[in-house]
Amino acid sequence: PLGGLASGKPRVLCHEAEAFLSTGSELVYVYDLEGGLLTAAYRFPGQVWHLELLAPRRALYVLCAGKGIYCLSLDHLSRSTSQDDGDSEDGELPSSVVPVGPDACVLPDASLCAFTVLDGTLVTLAQGPTQWKIQLFERPCPGEDPQPGGQIGEVELSTYTPPAGVPGKPADPCFLPVLCCVSPPASRVPHGHLWGSGSFTLKEALFGLLFGADATLLESPVILCGLPDGQLCSVVLKALVTSRSAPGDPKALVKILHHLEEPVIFIGALRTEPQAEEAAEEMPPGEDVHSDCLVALGHYGRTLAIKASWDKAGNLVPELREYCLPGPVLCAACGGGGRVYHSTPSDLCMVDLARGSTPSDPTQPEEGPGGLPPLLCPASLSACSVVTLSVSSRAPEGDTELLALSAKGRLMTFSLDLNSEVPGLSAVSRADTGQKIKELLSGIGNVSERVSFLKKAVDQRNKALTSLNEAMNVSCALLSSREGPRPISCTTTAAWSRLQMQDVLTATCLLENRSAFHLGQGWTLCVQVLTSCSALDLDSAGAATTYTIPVDQLGPGGQREVTLPLGPGENGSFDLPVTVSCTLFYSLREVVGRALAPSDSFEEPFLDEEPPDVLPEQEGICLPLSRHTVDLLQSLRFPGLAPPCTQAPPLRGPADPVDTFLEARREPGSHPSGPASLRAAYLPPSVACIKVSAELLRAALEDSRLPLCCATLRWLLAENAAADVVRARALSSVQGVAPDGADVHLIVREVAVTDLCLAGPIQVVEIQVESSSLADVCRAHHAVIGRMQTMVTQQAAQGSSPPDLRVQYLRQIHANHEALLREVQALRDRLCVEDEASSCATAQRLLQVYKQLRNPSLVLL
Amino acid sequence: MSHQMPQGPNCLDLWREKNDQLVRQAKVAQDSSLSLRRQQLAQDALEGLRELLHSLQGLPAAVPALPLELTVTCNFIILKTSVAQGFTEDQAQAIQRGLERVLETQEQLGPRLERGLGELWDSVLHVSSLLPELLPALHCLAGLQAALWLSTDHLRYLALLLQSLNGSQSGSSEDLLLHLKTWSPPAEESDAPLILQDAQGLRDVLLTAFPYRQGLQELIIGNLPKALSSLHEVASGLCPRPVLVQVYTALGTCLRKMGNPQRALVYLLEALKGGSALGPPLLEASRLYQQLGDTAAELESLELLVEVKNCQALSVTQSSEAPQLLIEVELLLPQSDPASPLHCGTQSQAKHLLASRCLQTGRAEDAAEHYLDLLALLLDGSEPRFSPPPSPPGPCMPEVFLEAAAALIQAGRAQDALTVCEELLSRTSSLLPKMSQLWKDARKGTKDLPHCPLWVSATHLLQGQAWVQLGSQKEAVSEFSWCLELLFRATPKDKEQGAPSNCEQGCKSDVTLQQLRAAALISRGLEWVARGQDTKALQDFLLSVQMCPGNRDASIHLLQTLRRLDRRDEATAFWWRLEAQTKLPQKDATWSLPLYLETCLSWIRPSDHETCLEEFRTSVLEPRDL
Repeated sequence: PLGGLASGKPRVLCHEAEAFLSTGSELVYVYDLEGGLLTAAYRFPGQVWHLELLAPRRALYVLCAGKGIYCLSLDHLSRSTSQDDGDSEDGELPSSVVPVGPDACVLPDASLCAFTVLDGTLVTLAQGPTQWKIQLFERPCPGEDPQPGGQIGEVELSTYTPPAGVPGKPADPCFLPVLCCVSPPASRVPHGHLWGSGSFTLKEALFGLLFGADATLLESPVILCGLPDGQLCSVVLKALVTSRSAPGDPKALVKILHHLEEPVIFIGALRTEPQAEEAAEEMPPGEDVHSDCLVALGHYGRTLAIKASWDKAGNLVPELREYCLPGPVLCAACGGGGRVYHSTPSDLCMVDLARGSTPSDPTQPEEGPGGLPPLLCPASLSACSVVTLSVSSRAPEGDTELLALSAKGRLMTFSLDLNSEVPGLSAVSRADTGQKIKELLSGIGNVSERVSFLKKAVDQRNKALTSLNEAMNVSCALLSSREGPRPISCTTTAAWSRLQMQDVLTATCLLENRSAFHLGQGWTLCVQVLTSCSALDLDSAGAATTYTIPVDQLGPGGQREVTLPLGPGENGSFDLPVTVSCTLFYSLREVVGRALAPSDSFEEPFLDEEPPDVLPEQEGICLPLSRHTVDLLQSLRFPGLAPPCTQAPPLRGPADPVDTFLEARREPGSHPSGPASLRAAYLPPSVACIKVSAELLRAALEDSRLPLCCATLRWLLAENAAADVVRARALSSVQGVAPDGADVHLIVREVAVTDLCLAGPIQVVEIQVESSSLADVCRAHHAVIGRMQTMVTQQAAQGSSPPDLRVQYLRQIHANHEALLREVQALRDRLCVEDEASSCATAQRLLQVYKQLRNPSLVLL
Repeated sequence: MSHQMPQGPNCLDLWREKNDQLVRQAKVAQDSSLSLRRQQLAQDALEGLRELLHSLQGLPAAVPALPLELTVTCNFIILKTSVAQGFTEDQAQAIQRGLERVLETQEQLGPRLERGLGELWDSVLHVSSLLPELLPALHCLAGLQAALWLSTDHLRYLALLLQSLNGSQSGSSEDLLLHLKTWSPPAEESDAPLILQDAQGLRDVLLTAFPYRQGLQELIIGNLPKALSSLHEVASGLCPRPVLVQVYTALGTCLRKMGNPQRALVYLLEALKGGSALGPPLLEASRLYQQLGDTAAELESLELLVEVKNCQALSVTQSSEAPQLLIEVELLLPQSDPASPLHCGTQSQAKHLLASRCLQTGRAEDAAEHYLDLLALLLDGSEPRFSPPPSPPGPCMPEVFLEAAAALIQAGRAQDALTVCEELLSRTSSLLPKMSQLWKDARKGTKDLPHCPLWVSATHLLQGQAWVQLGSQKEAVSEFSWCLELLFRATPKDKEQGAPSNCEQGCKSDVTLQQLRAAALISRGLEWVARGQDTKALQDFLLSVQMCPGNRDASIHLLQTLRRLDRRDEATAFWWRLEAQTKLPQKDATWSLPLYLETCLSWIRPSDHETCLEEFRTSVLEPRDL
């Protein structure tokens, strides 16, 4: 009947007919179990971490995260005035939510993590900077006396690694430590009455065995502490009394009983032996049972049980056994008859530790306590995701009543009949009928909750399977279709666009799904933009940027367009050419991992863990789609050709405010400044030239309507989105602007080459690249050659035969080039070792050689 | 370079007002008599300071806001340290953050490299010469840093910091104290934001804490002259009264250890005049009197100590002196150590000390009374706060019972001793091997015998002695036999004892076991002698001599028995052996047996030890002369 659970540490406690419940939020609810009514709700100033009830004093102790311990008197509780809180956020809250003020705080301490309360004392566990610290206080009482109990003792436990949190604000611990108090049976204090709800009594033998002769002699209660790192340690309470000037020596006071190696989430005790006759007589009814077995549970299901037994010689020896229960364990409780109940996200199980104790050999009845069972078989109680459990004290003899709070916030009671031999049906009296119906109804609710949980899990698995199947289909389709258009393709085009007052070169990737399959959850389009390395910096590899775009449902025939910026980079430069490769990625972890993790329906922090390592190393499937290179020719702009009406202000690349400023400041009549204009003024433009046989081009272009030169230019600029103007007019030369603002001049003309071929002059198309910027010449040259290469390979495949050539001449050209290349090598080597003055000359020479290299006399045939 | 104030000046004023209000709140908390209210107020103030610091540090660092920010940082650290009673990693981080903020204003932080605190301080102090308005707050922060480094024993850093604070460039002087003395923090301006403890106050605390800490550490490791000079340094300076009492006590300990009991006494008397924390000086005084051999005075001091402890235990609720919400000398002292002169144990430890000293000095009646008091204190289970057992290195609980029984026997209260022994056995019965099993095994003669802790056998030994005193020979002999039965099963190598206790390792030593066996054999032998069964007695004495060849008591009993039986030859032979043994250097004389065993051994010591030997010598040598 409550709202959902906040991520916290829910607790439930019950005392007689009342149940106290915290869901991990700031609220503590009080239920009347008989009437099934919510009688009160308290709002605390912080998340409630722990509840403990000191029944004889009718006091409820509550630990608030980051605040301290509060104490409520239950007597006040019954006559609490109904104060309307006004903002009841949880819908179904009763109108009376009583806020608990600082007056009820009995121990303000922000670092407290756990506590347990005894009649005279309050034991707390605080998180120090590097250590856990157990502190002992005189029990403060609510109301009577605002004085907090003086601190009586203190001892530091083992070190721990503090969670990495914001300095000053420690992160909320995922697992809280567990504290409980164990008392020896002979203790003169009538225990069970004066102890809090977190304590129990152990039989003498086990007690002495675990905690030593001193504790036995002193009849001192012992504090057991289970830490999140798995340590289980004990402190003898009477020995803990120390003075403030001398905190206890941990070596002498703290004894580590065991190390569970996983967070301890529960410590309890139970009785595995059937009550011996004489013992039963001695014990007054209603007295606490003296447990003979100590149990500790770890989060992942590791369970420790300790019993005392006697070896053959009659020596008292501890019998210690570790079991593995299915985890992760959310909570646990110990019931009568040697049963341990523990809850996992999918089930509530019961194991019986008493089962092994039936004496195997009846001839030795006085053998002493039987051993622990070698194996535990959990029996399901058909209730899932119970987050907190408590064994009710009001159950009739022989039965156990469990009070459980489910993850969805339902409070349930389970009545378990321990004597399973009892015939199932008995005459149901009329008075019982109502109760029966109630039980049935609650059973239905119970089952429906479990069903909904299981259904959700099944749905998730089905979805994952469907998704996996689709992924298989897609992969097969993509990998098998080598020829023809691929069923799923990605085409990339480059274009200029204006973004935020700046011209940006963008690449647009169009993902098209022409297959019959569906690209659903789990698919991602990865676009990697790889810039070529800068010519100035030979050592650095090009920078790669990867963009991942989730493909959210792309049905057959669907398209998705993604636009990515290519430049200018941070420093305003363009590193062309840029390679854009598109890949489809299918994440197994996302799809399968979620279905395999059983606990994702819980928002509790400790359940959001990595799914178990059932996934293969490889995290997904990777399918390459396309690879596209954006070069200079694609990114040229032609402001000079644009119609004057639509022409934007002169595009000189991204306008640098400093340049503008300098320009404005320039005195009239002076020389144009700036590197580009200076270069234009004093340096002749760099030139590169490529010659291709006209025949080859004609064959490749297959367009005879236009003059060859125009067709060639069009072909070169085919992928340029801005080249419509070029296409519109039949141009054979064009002046464009490179991304960095330099002019690039492309000139295409037909010439005849005479001395190359034996058969006479051959017609050749000469493509000349001219620019004031050397870098742009190189980029354009590279781009043109790239296109030529593709063309030539295609033509070669079609098997055209070159005309006869003058081999002698070719050889000479080849030799010339080799000489030039050698010189380049030599010059570059020199450049590395020379000083500045001479390196300048070398650089000059190098430039010249490069120039010669770029203007070869060779023709592509 | 111009710094833009991110918020208007009124915002700064607001924050400043908030700081002042929180400091006032902390001071109110300090004065509050109700400790719960006090704790809550302090915690609220701390939370407020943390939030304030958060808002201040949420903005880019700016010089006009920095003095306030540093002051808030200092207030936060001071309050946090005094609430948590110690420095933690948190405080170090707060200091570091403050320093980084100072550097941020100068844009000198550069890339966030991992810089040590020492380097940070260097750069900050360098910068601060340009920003004189930061100096008061920076000096306060430096004082806190010094306190932190002192408490973590980073003395080299501390020296460097003080050097830079004093502006002295010579790195030669390593004398920290000198640096501390020359450090003169600039005075707070009257309109500065309120601070809980200013740099001057911190310096005073450091001036006391540093030599005191040094002195205590030297004293504990035994470097007495150095300790003495450091402690003198503290005592000659200005320090609060309670600290002075402690220093005088430490001086007393130091001087006693250096062999100057009279001067030590002067200091201890001075400490006792101090009025507060009487425990340590009283304990120290008792040690001093013990060294001087003045038993009456020693026991008197111990009695006073016990009384003081009783009063303290009763007034624990009132938690008399709450610590100040400031950095105090006590926070900077080394972790409490049992070897420290300021450690005086708990109420029951004091009581046990008194009781055992009474027993050792032969005041059996007093000892018995004190032991009974102690047991009552320990076993009255309802109020755990009054009854801590003596923790190790003292004896473990069963031994305390045994000592009590021994004291009662010594005082002639055998019946009470029996009761104590029975109580011990009944309380630990669950830990002991099943007796029925034991008997059965004994009858069967099975090899696989159960083991018992040593103190169980010792209990039977004392029970036997009590029966002896009551004149009940039969019971006595049966107890001794039981004891021997158990003892001969116990092998000292057995580590896997049933009930491990923190001190059973000590009880199980070989020597103790041997001596126990000898004591039990001699005791039984003496009973046989008393019954006139000399042959049986002879057997036991012989065994005990074999068991413990160096035990003179056993040898003399054996000699006497041999003589009584008129087995002169054997007696002579044995006497010669004994004579040869006595000439050998006595080895292993230094072991210390448990007190109950010492006491027990004293009962079975032949009364006229030397005369008997002398007599024998003459009687043995006579026939040879003939």
